[in-house]
Amino acid sequence: MAFKIAATALLSGLAWLLGGVFMKVAEAVTGMAVPRQLGFQPAATETMEMVASFHDFLMIIMTSIVVLVTALLLIIVIRFNRKANPVPSKTSHNTLLEIAWTIIPVLILMAIAVPSFKLLYFQDVVPEADMVIKATGHQWYWTYEYPDHGDLTFDAIMLPDSYYAAEMSQDVRDERDAVLADIQHLLGRGEAPEIHRLLDTDTRIVVPVGKIVKVLVMADDVIHAWAIPSFGVKIDAVPGRTNEIWFRATQIGTFYGQCSELCGIRHAFMPIVVEVVSEEDFKAWLGRAGAMYNTAAVDTPVRLAENATAQ
Amino acid sequence: MAGEVMHDYHLVKPSHWPVVSAASTFFTALGAVGWMHDYPYAPYVFTLGFLSLLYCMASWWGDVIAEANGGDHTPIVQVGLRYGMILFIASEVMFFVAWFWAYFNAALFTPDVVGGVWPPTGIETFDPWHIPFINTLILLLSGTTVTWAHHAIIEGDREGLKKGLWLSVLLGATFTGFQAYEYAHAAFGFAGNIYGSTFYMATGFHGFHVIVGTIFLAVCLGRAYRGHFTPDQHFGLEAAAWYWHFVDVVWLFLFASIYWWGAG
Amino acid sequence: MADEAAIEVGQAAHHPTGWRRWLYSTNHKDIGTMYLVFAVISGLIGFAMSIAIRMEMMYPGVEVLPVLTGGDLDAAYHLFNVLITAHGLIMVFFLVMPALIGGFGNWFLPIMIGAPDMAFPRMNNVSFWLLPPAITLLVISTMVGGPSDALTGVGGGWTVYPPLSTSGQPGPAMDLAILALHLAGASSILGAVNFITTVFNMRAPGMTMHKMPLFVWSLLVTAFLLLLAIPVLAGAITMLLTDRNFGTTFFDPAGGGDPLLFQHLFWFFGHPEVYILILPGFGLISHIISTFSRKPIFGYLGMAYAMVAIGFIGFIVWAHHMYTVGMDVDVKAYFVAATMVIAVPTGIKIFSWIATMWGGSIEFKTPMLWAIGFIFVFTVGGVTGVLISNAGIDQSVHDTYYIVAHFHYTMSLGAVFAIFAGFYYWIGKMSGRQYPETLGKIHFWLSFIGVNMVFFPQHFLGLAGMPRRIVDYNEVFSYWNFWSSIGAYISTAGVLVFLLVLWKTFRSGEKCPDNPWGEGATTLEWTLPSPPPFHQFNELPKIK
Repeated sequence: MAFKIAATALLSGLAWLLGGVFMKVAEAVTGMAVPRQLGFQPAATETMEMVASFHDFLMIIMTSIVVLVTALLLIIVIRFNRKANPVPSKTSHNTLLEIAWTIIPVLILMAIAVPSFKLLYFQDVVPEADMVIKATGHQWYWTYEYPDHGDLTFDAIMLPDSYYAAEMSQDVRDERDAVLADIQHLLGRGEAPEIHRLLDTDTRIVVPVGKIVKVLVMADDVIHAWAIPSFGVKIDAVPGRTNEIWFRATQIGTFYGQCSELCGIRHAFMPIVVEVVSEEDFKAWLGRAGAMYNTAAVDTPVRLAENATAQ
Repeated sequence: MAGEVMHDYHLVKPSHWPVVSAASTFFTALGAVGWMHDYPYAPYVFTLGFLSLLYCMASWWGDVIAEANGGDHTPIVQVGLRYGMILFIASEVMFFVAWFWAYFNAALFTPDVVGGVWPPTGIETFDPWHIPFINTLILLLSGTTVTWAHHAIIEGDREGLKKGLWLSVLLGATFTGFQAYEYAHAAFGFAGNIYGSTFYMATGFHGFHVIVGTIFLAVCLGRAYRGHFTPDQHFGLEAAAWYWHFVDVVWLFLFASIYWWGAG
Repeated sequence: MADEAAIEVGQAAHHPTGWRRWLYSTNHKDIGTMYLVFAVISGLIGFAMSIAIRMEMMYPGVEVLPVLTGGDLDAAYHLFNVLITAHGLIMVFFLVMPALIGGFGNWFLPIMIGAPDMAFPRMNNVSFWLLPPAITLLVISTMVGGPSDALTGVGGGWTVYPPLSTSGQPGPAMDLAILALHLAGASSILGAVNFITTVFNMRAPGMTMHKMPLFVWSLLVTAFLLLLAIPVLAGAITMLLTDRNFGTTFFDPAGGGDPLLFQHLFWFFGHPEVYILILPGFGLISHIISTFSRKPIFGYLGMAYAMVAIGFIGFIVWAHHMYTVGMDVDVKAYFVAATMVIAVPTGIKIFSWIATMWGGSIEFKTPMLWAIGFIFVFTVGGVTGVLISNAGIDQSVHDTYYIVAHFHYTMSLGAVFAIFAGFYYWIGKMSGRQYPETLGKIHFWLSFIGVNMVFFPQHFLGLAGMPRRIVDYNEVFSYWNFWSSIGAYISTAGVLVFLLVLWKTFRSGEKCPDNPWGEGATTLEWTLPSPPPFHQFNELPKIK
């Protein structure tokens, strides 16, 4: 096992580099980490592709530096131990060397800065959006609004652990099946969605593929953060401010994220789920969601209470 | 190695004041938190801790004065004390940086909730050319009187020293009086709004420093009456003067940025 | 003879015995010793917390902490937050700072510059004695209400961001933590004044600034950072206190305040703070490298001014901790550029250490192992630092385990390796008894393997998207969390060996000669007996 760890660690740099090669577009992907993952989740936006390739570029530099330093240390251990080299040199200056190890890092940093700024300005300058979603963080769930689509509003509350238990009471099973049936119905799917512990919520944000979505992120109690790793987005939800972030999903699928700013006792339990669907499916969803959320609004507090006890 | 001491540094004798002071700060802090949360007896814990702290400070500095008069403060030790005081004032400057930062954060990036303007809508600020300007003049004047006292002792003029210090202390007290009057007649409150928060905390901490500086000068005055300070050795007085000038400069920034620039 | 007896009497007045020697101390070595003992105790507490955290995180699901809370899950979630908060605060304020600055700094700064003591020996003692009340307040905070009366302790993270630290935790716990920080801060400011004055005013004849040992340089820069950064923290947490208790609205948007103001103030302190933690380590690693290589430090001036540069730049990069708060893109761009510049002086240090060893005749005693280990782990922590300095990529790793891995590589591995390096380097000098060499090496290897195993996999977790400060995680993150926890248990074995080292050293350590390290050890402490006399340099040394 230990050997396996060492081997995995050694190969990790390589795996990062090759990560992009194996990223093949699937029909509908699940945007979450996989067991033993070493690098980023596969990119589902252009931003994240840029992040990943910038990361790969940086990994080459970082790995080279660590390898260089480690190699020098090893050479020192072998060549300059007391047995091998009983008489130390007294060198304490080498102007050329000192200039070199000042100038070369500067050049490396300049090489890093170019793609870094390119990425930063691409990521941070919000283009004209096709649609807007408002995400408001609460302790401990998110509320989403679709201001462009008739002020559709719904809360997204984490599905309790009891839904994943190997054995569950009939009540819990019925409750879970009802929640899954709602999600299934809204998405217009033929089967109940697969759910993942601590990552799935009772409702999902649904957005069309290939459209620029601007997310306005707010909070009404403490600071939270809205993040979807496969999109390369993360922005704090700060009380009293409206932050904005954008993404254009390039793939259909379900994408998971988690609150990324310590927000109290149940910080670990307010995940984010984005369902990227085709344009037609989105339109269909809008119709169904309008019908459901307008009538189901009163349902929310009940689920909140259930969530609290079912934990 | 137990050779004779051949240097001029001051190897201070063991003292119980540090550990007692630290214990006092503990009870002060504990009592303060308890008081804020309405625990029974907490106000007494706080008061006892704080009085004990004051007693420690008085005794500790009393020891310092005794050592100074006893000849422990050789020229090199005095240089050290100068460094110490300058560095302490530098840290105080950074403390005020935090309050100015809070003020400008609100004043330059005005939040919508206060109307998007500074001063916030509904806040009636002080006329800077009224009491604040008088206070500016008072502090500037007190800066000159403290310099008078300093130059007097350099010249060996003990009467001038006392007069200068008397005036400085009185001017400092007058400043505090005016400030208290201003607070009492303010058109805006302390709680619930960012203007009041930044205004009172910045000017309040300054006011606290004025009181500390006034006490420092008053102690020097008392020492002057007891015959302390010589034309060559009077660092306690100089430290008080430096502190006073620091308080003065902070006020100029407060006056310029909060009272004047930030006036409605 | 008569003279000597008189001097002995005179010394006795300055040299109380029993408990008075410690409580009333005005002796830099005794105060340094108290700092070190304090650091060991609080370090063990903070370490125990980290083990509790890793035990909880070993498997998905919340299984371990509920044992401590009687099965109450919400209390267990809160306990997790209390643990991460207290672990951070204790390790920063009550382990690393007291050990490196208060402990080794007090012990060796005066000796290295040829001074008989610190500039303000009595104030030195209050710097130390403010720490036990501070940590006591923090301990009491775990027993009183935090987010509610039932949930005790501060669970806001060591960064105590409002509103979670204001409206989010209305109980007295947070106020106690704030005042604990005030006391620790006062201690540090007074200590900083003392160190700077000592360096400027008490160097022995001939000890010019450019001849000063690098450890002294490092403490000088550190002291300036403390002096200028801590008061800003004091202001920020005072605002927290008044927001919480007296109705001000500095951080409350409903009253026109701004939660981000706190983050700016906090990190204006917090970034210099991380250099405060690591710079003394830089200094003492230089000595150890030079001693055991039997070579003078390579590029001494570059080394000294690299630290000055790091200290200066440390004040103008704070918002790189805040890339996701919604700052303007141009502001972010500035902080990216400024932050990357730090890599240059840091690189100078790494390469100068390597060049110091190059051509040396190196003896791999325990302190040298820790020093070489330090260079390795600090390089790893340094390169990931370059990565996260880029705002664009930080958006993906911010608040994930990648950050946890990064700052533990620099702190938990970097600063703590420096502490252990210093311990093994100087314990013979301080106690008069030398440590057991083999056990020291076992301690190093267990720790080196252990902590790398704890933190290297956390890079993977962070990249995969696992947020930090979460009590439970999805099963996909199990594998690396498991190995991270195994690493923590290996480190625990290392800590136990360290306790054995302490025991052996004081029970049966060999008598340490004046200079156990030979010709490479050139600083003044090696000219004194081990342990040094109660007052050294009654006649000031002359430096050629």
